Amino acid sequence: MPRSGVHRPKVRSLRLANGLRVLLAPDGASPTASVWVWYRVGSKNEWPGITGASHWVEHMLFEGSPRYAKGEIDRAVLKVGGELNAFTDTDFTAYFTTVPRDHLSVPLDIEADRMTRAEISDEEVARERTVIHSEREGNENWPEFRVEEELFQLAFRIHPYRWDALGRRRDIEQMTADQLRAYYRRFYGPRNAVLVVVGGFNPRATEAEVRRRFSKLPAWGDDVEVREVEPPAVGVRRSTLHGPGTTPYLQVGWRSPALTDPATPATIVLDTILGGESRLFSAGMGWRGRREHPTARLYRALVDTGLAVRATSGWNPRFYPSLFTVQAQAAPGVSLDRLEQALNRVIGRLSRDGPTLKEMSDVRTRIRRGAALAYEGATTTGFRLGYFATLRSVALEDELYRSLLRVSPRAVRDQARAIFRTDSQVLVRYEPTEEAADA
Amino acid sequence: MREPSNPLEVEYGQPIDGLTTARQPAPAGAASFSATYVGPAGWGFDPASEGGTARVANHLLASGAGRYDRRGLARLLDRAGATLTTECAPESAEVTIWGPAADWRKLVGLLADVVLRPRFAAEDLIRVRRQVAERQLRELAQPASRADRELLRATYPEGHPYRSSGLGDVRSVACLTPEKIRRFHRDHYTSGDAVLVVTSSARLPDVEATVREHFSDFAERRPPKLRWPPVRAGSARTLKIELPGRSQVEIRIGGDSIARSDPAYSAAFLANEVLGGRAQLSRLFQRVRERGGLVYHASSELEAMRFGGYWAVGAGTGGERWTKVVPMLAKELDQMRIRDVGASELRQVRESAIGEIPLALESTSDAHELAVEVAYQRLPGDYLSHWPAQLRKVRPREVRAAVERAMDPRHAVTVLAGPLGGS
Repeated sequence: MPRSGVHRPKVRSLRLANGLRVLLAPDGASPTASVWVWYRVGSKNEWPGITGASHWVEHMLFEGSPRYAKGEIDRAVLKVGGELNAFTDTDFTAYFTTVPRDHLSVPLDIEADRMTRAEISDEEVARERTVIHSEREGNENWPEFRVEEELFQLAFRIHPYRWDALGRRRDIEQMTADQLRAYYRRFYGPRNAVLVVVGGFNPRATEAEVRRRFSKLPAWGDDVEVREVEPPAVGVRRSTLHGPGTTPYLQVGWRSPALTDPATPATIVLDTILGGESRLFSAGMGWRGRREHPTARLYRALVDTGLAVRATSGWNPRFYPSLFTVQAQAAPGVSLDRLEQALNRVIGRLSRDGPTLKEMSDVRTRIRRGAALAYEGATTTGFRLGYFATLRSVALEDELYRSLLRVSPRAVRDQARAIFRTDSQVLVRYEPTEEAADA
Repeated sequence: MREPSNPLEVEYGQPIDGLTTARQPAPAGAASFSATYVGPAGWGFDPASEGGTARVANHLLASGAGRYDRRGLARLLDRAGATLTTECAPESAEVTIWGPAADWRKLVGLLADVVLRPRFAAEDLIRVRRQVAERQLRELAQPASRADRELLRATYPEGHPYRSSGLGDVRSVACLTPEKIRRFHRDHYTSGDAVLVVTSSARLPDVEATVREHFSDFAERRPPKLRWPPVRAGSARTLKIELPGRSQVEIRIGGDSIARSDPAYSAAFLANEVLGGRAQLSRLFQRVRERGGLVYHASSELEAMRFGGYWAVGAGTGGERWTKVVPMLAKELDQMRIRDVGASELRQVRESAIGEIPLALESTSDAHELAVEVAYQRLPGDYLSHWPAQLRKVRPREVRAAVERAMDPRHAVTVLAGPLGGS
């Protein structure tokens, strides 16, 4: 068992001459192998006019290269029973393929190819434009998406976190294939990537194969620091959206630290106390969706009392300072004013009194237990290793884990006071405009 | 005798007080275990005018059991590093516990408390009723859930288990009392016609002994009977639900289908995979997204349950594009019925489906889902091991014949829900 308590498989880490970071985590018992490539490019690297470019390039990397014609990447993986997908975030873009262990060469060949040789043709860009629109439209059908997009837009005036990774509608309409090709050439390449290989493979043979396939790639890919620094939040910013929906909904946000900030462990504890779990250390479901947490403060104050049908907090640790959010869906017949007052009382009490000793003990138990079962299956392991390595290093997980177990109630209270300032709150309300009618 | 260690092999034990017990070996190296009770407690059993009973009862199981109230139970699970999930379907309801492998005996005991000794406290019922009321509104307001709902309502007659999503209506859920929920629980969380599936490295005799220790006092052994009104296949028709203010129209085309035990199931499974079930390899994805560039998602599903099933094609697209998308979906469906699938296409899809079996064994929870399916469907323990051979026997003409039986577009209902623009 590793000293830290995080039950992680043994990882061999290497860096190729062209800058590619490689993590190999063999598991002789695994029936599968999972290959992840993480690029340190996301919507943080975009600017107005090309918002959504990272996400669009992600789509284009499935649309062909000189080696793989359109559709052949999907076919090559699926025909051996594999699965593949990709996702784009503010801070990174990740591609993963999991295959039966005997077929590891298939994803390695694909990833080595599209790291520098993807074709982004005018014709495919034109076709994909509507697909991207459609993806955005599907999200817009959900009030929660619209509210969160508005919240970040209100909260940030300078930093690129102010737009969603899907991009703005107008930019999706106008972006050109030239812009996407330039974006790809700038940010993609070994220097800006982390390759993670996990599962059932021979470590020596696979390392040799990785070196053979990836060492010859040109040392491309810029890891660009975002220079726009958001000034401190001043004043309360509010907005109300109207549209179809069920019951009123609200989301509140406050500026929060970056993942590597020393205050991160205390912020994770805050998230766990308010919402019931932290995405980084959660038993079983952390990466697959959130569950109800009857012991969490928001749940007790809002759901148990009949004010809300759902209430939780959410903190996605990011590369740059972002937002800590709290959201609640009103119970039928409950006004947003009442909900907002109750929510502010919960936050106010936590800032004033800090957590109880029992809460701290519960959080530590939950984090210990979550860390013990966090790595099961090659795909999940590839995700966790890649996530931490991309945002800083695999060791960050151990540091966070150790710090989390040492956080004092006072540090949590101080962090609550630092984050939940009533003079810098951002709040978006959603008021349904219609009664949903039966057919 | 050597203990089976292949997670594809499910071992059945002796029934315990009428409860069927099954054990699946955990994937190699797994640090977790999982156990699920599946019983005849789905919403198809909702008493007349008491729609929502099964779902509410199932949801409430996680709200306190035995000595523990809701928070006490949540704390206990947190301390154990375990999760408890409940799930309700038309024919059955499930409760699953997942946690550290070393604690499996203790956690099976906790699962027994949840299944056999739920509290059904009045204040919890009030809370769940509120949550269900909001979900009822969501089902009507969201284009995707609204389209699903209208498809089932148009396909199945009143009183059919598959006709609804089990949420009931405002009145039926408001009338639910702890007594009604307790009565439903007593009659439907039975040992008869129920299974308990454990995925663990423990041996079957140990699993049986632990189950016997904890699951031997069901209030009712006899299983309830499911009402089954006949389904009349009508002619194809279209329903349009105008939902203004949304960004996307959700399209569903579907209808009644076959049960998992139907001899045509393997062929129907492959028909669905070719049409839209095998992600990027399938025809719908290729035609409507890859070549047409008209949608983000286009797929199909075949929901073959124990007593029957349904099928559906689903896609979402902007209000100005659905008139192009619907004929494309319909054409692909018709092609499945009119022409045999090419041998190479069938082989590619089939080998993909077979090849992915190891992926379903990556973790305890993934493998456990397979075992629950096998046990619930009363399939032989070695069913998963023989599944590849079963699929390889299927011929193209059988796939076409299965389309006529299991997903016939001539009787399909098409539902459009979203900003149709008065078209």
